[in-house]
Amino acid sequence: MQIQVRLFATYREIVGEGQLAWTLRDGTTVRQLLEAVLAEYPRLLGHEKGMLLAVNHEVVRPDVVLREGDEVALLPPVSGGRR
Amino acid sequence: MIEIQRTRIDVEAVVDSVRRNDAGAIVVFLGTVRADPDVRALDYEVYQSMAVRTLTELATRAREKFGILELSIVHRAGRVPVGEDSVVIACAAAHRSEAFAACSWVMDEVKQIVPIWKTEAGPAKRRARRP
Repeated sequence: MQIQVRLFATYREIVGEGQLAWTLRDGTTVRQLLEAVLAEYPRLLGHEKGMLLAVNHEVVRPDVVLREGDEVALLPPVSGGRR
Repeated sequence: MIEIQRTRIDVEAVVDSVRRNDAGAIVVFLGTVRADPDVRALDYEVYQSMAVRTLTELATRAREKFGILELSIVHRAGRVPVGEDSVVIACAAAHRSEAFAACSWVMDEVKQIVPIWKTEAGPAKRRARRP
């Protein structure tokens, strides 16, 4: 099956693209996809701290099983800032 | 009114979007780009579809949590020069205490859960803004 991977901010800069088409076996989880992305782009290693994973614009747990056409986003920690 | 836009925010329009005859208070928060050393602007990168969805959910939660009447959030995307507003929140309520509380809570949540990232743009360098 085909899914889209979206990358933002630091992750987009490291990978050099904001969007990747990715082919997966049926039954692949978000965690397995992340492992595959990290294997393909090892420079992302060490930047996973605080990463959130979203599927179709909703933050999900890593054990969620992906489906055809899903949009998976790797989200670095957001801006934060002092109050 | 929930919007993400690349142009200057019309604050008066955001305020007008929450006006109601049963409101006794409107609290407005403006987040502005501060002139830190070597900073001329901030660049905001936005995951547009998820950001709009998250902001809309935040507005709903704020209404339930604080019993406010109306809430609008407008955020900039792209480059915002020093001195301009990067976010405007307007909150209308029957009384001021819940309007202040809701506005403050929403801004904290925006900083924590809305997929918007900022980078400092200075004369010659770009770096993630420290918290």
